[in-house]
Amino acid sequence: MMTWARRQRALADYTLAALSRRKGKNIALVAIFSLVVFALSSAMFFAAALRHETTVVLRDAPEIVVQKLIMGRQDLIPGDVVETIAGFRGVTSAKGRLWGYYYDRINGANYTVMVPDDPALIPPVGYVAVGEGVPRARGLAWEGAPLFLSRYEGDLKRFDVDRTFSRDSALMTADLVLMNPQDFRAFFDIPEGLYTDVVATVRNQNEVATIVTKASNASPQMRFVTRADIERTYQKLFDWREGLLVVLAGAGLLAFAIFAAEKASGLSAEEAREIGILKAVGWDTRDVIAMKMWEGGLVSLGAFLIGTVAGFAHVFLFDGVLFAPVLRGWAVIYPDFALAPHIDGVQLMTLALLTVVPYMAATVVPVWRTASGDPDAVMR
Amino acid sequence: MITLNAVTKLYNEGRPNEFAALQEIDLTLARGAMSVLRGPSGSGKTTLLSILACMARPTSGRVSIDGELVSGLPERFLTELRRTTFGFVFQRFNLVRGLTALENVMLPTVPLGADYGQTRDKAMARLEALGLADKAAMPIEHLSGGEAQRTAIARALINDPPILIADEPTANLDTALAEKFLAILAEERAAGRTVILTSHDPRIWEAEGVDRIVTLRDGRIVEGELAEGVLGEDVA
Repeated sequence: MMTWARRQRALADYTLAALSRRKGKNIALVAIFSLVVFALSSAMFFAAALRHETTVVLRDAPEIVVQKLIMGRQDLIPGDVVETIAGFRGVTSAKGRLWGYYYDRINGANYTVMVPDDPALIPPVGYVAVGEGVPRARGLAWEGAPLFLSRYEGDLKRFDVDRTFSRDSALMTADLVLMNPQDFRAFFDIPEGLYTDVVATVRNQNEVATIVTKASNASPQMRFVTRADIERTYQKLFDWREGLLVVLAGAGLLAFAIFAAEKASGLSAEEAREIGILKAVGWDTRDVIAMKMWEGGLVSLGAFLIGTVAGFAHVFLFDGVLFAPVLRGWAVIYPDFALAPHIDGVQLMTLALLTVVPYMAATVVPVWRTASGDPDAVMR
Repeated sequence: MITLNAVTKLYNEGRPNEFAALQEIDLTLARGAMSVLRGPSGSGKTTLLSILACMARPTSGRVSIDGELVSGLPERFLTELRRTTFGFVFQRFNLVRGLTALENVMLPTVPLGADYGQTRDKAMARLEALGLADKAAMPIEHLSGGEAQRTAIARALINDPPILIADEPTANLDTALAEKFLAILAEERAAGRTVILTSHDPRIWEAEGVDRIVTLRDGRIVEGELAEGVLGEDVA
């Protein structure tokens, strides 16, 4: 065991010396390799973090959202619908919701304005609670700062910021403005007894589809949107955008694959000669392969580490600044938000399979083919 | 004792440019002797040396070392033989560029897993014995021809092989360096090491300590003679 360890150490030492002999070439190689890993890891981390955000956000969302449609467009829904929905078998509760969007002309941001379901979160009259992106977009201080919003009629309404949200899920809270129902109705001019939509919770998750079918038949003028529908929509949206990015990253991967294939096709005369010398002075084919595995491992794992860390920093520290326009939608471009760091082992394994494994194969296979010959033939 | 029976070596076998480098060679070389293979360029000297050192396999025929057939051995056994039995000094030295003289000398010991400190001391002692102690840390590209050759000799001897093989060792050396090299070979032979050389340099054939000269032409042995006045009989 000691001999094996010493042998590996000696091979690793030799490998380091070999790498340092071709410093320029190897630095360029690691740089290109790192760039490919960076592009792929950024795409994967970004898309996975968005999906994770969506899952976190929708975890506590109501199972069913009921909307009133007129001419195919959503309209305010009367409060008596709440009673109707609550009356369906299997529905445990139904509530009217008040929420909408506010376009902030000052900075071009789009805020989500709503009255929270949880009474504990409802701010006092004249106050708002905001996501962290709102004060940032407005260049304001946090708590206690005034927030002036323009009503439809054009007059300004002053709110004081009661508090801001922590970053459990920046995707959905960054642009959020929570209001008292009284302020909401006054600001958007919504009469008492009307709501934006109605949300319902059910006793048994498995019965959601059945309840929605029955309710749709009973109230054909209403649209019933389930949590699964919303999840699917998000999923497709992110899948499509991730696909765009993967195409871009794929171009880099293709270039890398061409390079790897070229490398796999054979060794340079100098490399082959060196292998011949090593074999002539008593190195076994396995020793040569082990040395090349050290070399490939150091290059590819080094590049993998650099690329992955850079991808992580790009996505989670610098908000994926290079890919954000592709991966985020128009609705969440403003205000800015930061994704909560989230990666898993499967992502890293996939990344390694796409990058490290092909490189190792491209390194070892031609060496094995060359080193299997007699030293004399290899050197010739 | 190294014995070759009907050894033939073909290159590009089965192709239009097939070429017989060696044909039906029968040869026995004794342990502890200094033997020289001579002949014009293309006569098969280097190929014969490669087969003797287990660096190439004959196309047909048998190679035995101390009575043990080695020409049919799997690669890993041949590696072991190369590592423990032979030290090879190539015509162009075949040192690894970018490595220092010391690192080149230590190269054969890398896969052995030997203690680094001990190996380093041993390599330094070899370099010192050949007058290269001050060049140990120098990349081999910066060494002169003679220094590079002595580095190659030190590398060939690092594992204390019983057989030292050198291919055209004086081809790239001036007279003074060639004489120095011959002196080193004579010392090694005197120390009991078997020495096998190829050369078409008369200084080698006539050198003191040469026990046997084998002449090759067109891949065949045309002459196997004693060095005059060295030994009373063919050591083989």
